[in-house]
Amino acid sequence: MTEQKPDRRDFLVKLGTGAGVVGIGTQAAASLRSLLPNVSYDAPTTVKLGKTADFPDGLKFLPEQRLFVFREGKVFHAVSAVCTHLGCTVRAEALSQPETVTVGDAPMRLTHRFSCPCHGSKYTGDGKVVSGPAPKPLAWYHLSVSPDDGQLVADLAREVGRDFRLTLA
Amino acid sequence: MATAPAPGTPTTTPPSPSAPGVHPRPFWSFQPKSDRESGDAIVSNFALHWFPAKVFKPSLDWNYSFWLGTISAALFLLLIVSGLPLLFLYVPSVERAYGSVKDIEWVVTFGSWIRSVHRLSAHLMVAVVCLHLVRVFFTGAYKNGVGRGQHREWNWVMGVAMLLLTLFLSFTGYLLPWDQLAYWAVTVGTNIAASIPYVGPQIRELLIGGRNIDQPALIRFYVAHVILLPGLLGAAFAYHMWRVRKDGGLARVDRVATLREKAAEEPGAAKTYTLLGVARGTAPTIRAASLEARDLTVNSMPDLVRRAAVAVLGTFAVISVAASLIRSPLEEPANPLVTPNPAKAPWYFLWLQEIVTDTTFTVGGFTVNGAFLGGVILPGIILLVLTAWPWLDRSPAEAAGVWFHKTRSRQNFGFLLFVLFVLLLTIVGTFLRGPSWELFWPWEAWPELPTRI
Repeated sequence: MTEQKPDRRDFLVKLGTGAGVVGIGTQAAASLRSLLPNVSYDAPTTVKLGKTADFPDGLKFLPEQRLFVFREGKVFHAVSAVCTHLGCTVRAEALSQPETVTVGDAPMRLTHRFSCPCHGSKYTGDGKVVSGPAPKPLAWYHLSVSPDDGQLVADLAREVGRDFRLTLA
Repeated sequence: MATAPAPGTPTTTPPSPSAPGVHPRPFWSFQPKSDRESGDAIVSNFALHWFPAKVFKPSLDWNYSFWLGTISAALFLLLIVSGLPLLFLYVPSVERAYGSVKDIEWVVTFGSWIRSVHRLSAHLMVAVVCLHLVRVFFTGAYKNGVGRGQHREWNWVMGVAMLLLTLFLSFTGYLLPWDQLAYWAVTVGTNIAASIPYVGPQIRELLIGGRNIDQPALIRFYVAHVILLPGLLGAAFAYHMWRVRKDGGLARVDRVATLREKAAEEPGAAKTYTLLGVARGTAPTIRAASLEARDLTVNSMPDLVRRAAVAVLGTFAVISVAASLIRSPLEEPANPLVTPNPAKAPWYFLWLQEIVTDTTFTVGGFTVNGAFLGGVILPGIILLVLTAWPWLDRSPAEAAGVWFHKTRSRQNFGFLLFVLFVLLLTIVGTFLRGPSWELFWPWEAWPELPTRI
């Protein structure tokens, strides 16, 4: 036999192989896609934290939201308890000597510092990294007062700068 | 070691018994009368048919391989067998997982023993698989010798993949009880994946089926632990064994062949090193001089089978006894609200926990998270170098299958340093890390800390 142009048999073999590859590829892609959730059943990111009157002066830890809420008279701010290194919950340690520092152009009285149990990151009371592997300061979250029932509301999807303060009227 | 036949001696008619390699053994009831009978005992036996009919005796030496691969396989088998009853008892739901493990531990008859067999086998398997890798490195057993069609380097790559699978199996296994260890291990483990730039958060979401660790995460790790990873490891194991056969046996075979080849003046005829006359295409060939070295060749039945049985049954016995003496721990139920202090990974991940602790650095206002550098980049580099090592190793073929060959002393020393470094970090993580991951000497008391914030 001499050299021939691709005949019908070659064509059908290629067609069959191609169809097989496309078929298996599509099935694999469909199976993998099914593992990506379309609906999130996660807890909502905007959460009511309770009446403002229930928050004492100083620090209150909200374990469900992994959030520290600080109050100084009528001024509130919230700092995340999620370590920026690998996501463990940091612990607050009371300072024996509270110190006043300038945070976001305003003086702030720091009563605590934070340390992470997993890899030993340490933060100041306003969330700045002192030592350890944490790459970023602790996040600050937006706080507001719910207009319907006067509860404090945290928006855990909305990070704010360190000059953020919620001042009650 | 016996000497090679003098040059010129016809090697086809050695002064040997009618069935060479067959020798009477006390305390061994099966004594094949001939090579044929011995070969049949292997080939016609389903459980043994993947063994060769004859083996080089030096390959069987305890102090060459320490039988670490066989012991790993025995532990894998034991893990499958002990995992089966646990499959009937464990409930993969975040509400009931902890309770079902507690039942296995305290309520089910022999439950705590079965769980302990499973857990101890898993711990030992990680250790033995690592030692197996170390042994193969120090003996240069990933090197090809004189056989044709040998690809021991592929088996080394396969072995590295199997080590990874073993580690993933342990990781997915210890988080199934859904206790505090489990919950925070998933948190840290998946956040390491999330630290990869750009695609990290999506990978984490795919791993845990959402943004928070909940039921979808547990079911994913459960399926990976009981089907996906064991299936992959089983397939990899089959290939690993097949390659050992295709490569002509352990690397030590080539060592013997190389020495013989040097000793012999005449190269002699090459002969295909497969048995029972079944030889195809790229089957490895060995110099005839080594194949005819009958003084070093024994029938697999009984010599290989007996030793393998000792290794496998011995492993079973040790684990069974140890499991009746050692209880498996179970921490408090998973509590997303409280991270334990200190939160320690199992011993074989503590060196990684040390690395992610120490590798965050800042260059000109740009901070690299230790989670990415120490958790992804460094292990990735280690894996890449390990995988590529057979191609980086330039030592001659004589270095294959011998402990600490002099041509490999530099790389052996480097590898030893690496192993010692990992061991050192493991020891620091195990014994010297206390609350808030601070360093304490073992004799120092840990400070009393409030359990709540």
